[in-house]
Amino acid sequence: MRFIAYIFALLAGMALSFEGAIYGELGKNIGKLETSFYNFIVGAIILGLLWLFFGRGNLSYVVKAPKWSLLGGVLGVVYLTAIVISIPFVGVGITMVAVIIGQLIMSMVIEHFGWLGTNKVKMNREKVLAVISMMIALILVN
Amino acid sequence: MGIIMILFTLIGGITLSAQSAINGSFSRKAGTIETTFLTFITGSMFLALIILFFGQGDIFAIFDAPLWQLSAVFLGVLFLLFNVFAVTKIGVIATSITVIIGQLVISVVIDHFGWFNSLIIPLDTKRWFALLFMLIALYFIFKGNKRSIEEANKPE
Repeated sequence: MRFIAYIFALLAGMALSFEGAIYGELGKNIGKLETSFYNFIVGAIILGLLWLFFGRGNLSYVVKAPKWSLLGGVLGVVYLTAIVISIPFVGVGITMVAVIIGQLIMSMVIEHFGWLGTNKVKMNREKVLAVISMMIALILVN
Repeated sequence: MGIIMILFTLIGGITLSAQSAINGSFSRKAGTIETTFLTFITGSMFLALIILFFGQGDIFAIFDAPLWQLSAVFLGVLFLLFNVFAVTKIGVIATSITVIIGQLVISVVIDHFGWFNSLIIPLDTKRWFALLFMLIALYFIFKGNKRSIEEANKPE
């Protein structure tokens, strides 16, 4: 069963790269911002249906939640628009390595200080080495 | 141009990781599907405003776009569902590392063959070495996280 979970995680990652490559094309076709908009609108429709049929949580928490915790969507917009713009110029490989470096560094910083409601996790030597190795990979991939 | 794109994409990665932290806090109270739903709704609202003022493309061209280009939205949803499934079985760290492996390996393959009409960038020796360094990076992420967990569980 664990083996299947690894396969699913692998497929999930592949889906992200395919998504980026395909949206790069759609972006040339209808515009970059418009491509992001398409993704978010249709994504909202799909998730809306999933929520209606399978949602077990509490959507009404949205009115009580601290306002900063509602900003996930706008941050996702920056990410998607960035890759739609970047992929036609530099390719999928460089784009994905750059995204992952950004994620690595930021998640280390967020967790180190325990920002945004995360549990505090100290930075350590291994994590810094991971960022350095990833940067070497970015230079080689470029 | 290339460097600016890379910096811009780095910012995309930074905001993505801030998004996961924020959504993580929200989903503990509201649930996973609810959080993702909200993310897509607020994202659409922000983009609708941005496009009204700065949109230079043609949103209605969506109806003429080939279906394979529109199918990408399902890949995004597939990612979310597979990710949630994997996290419950093997945990966050193993899932993220496996996701990244899938993401990076297939991205250089897409470049190599120029799939989806994208840029063709051959998988040369330099890129094989890049893959090697990515694996080294993932190994360090694994070790680093293991150490953080051990230190967190150590009695004071």
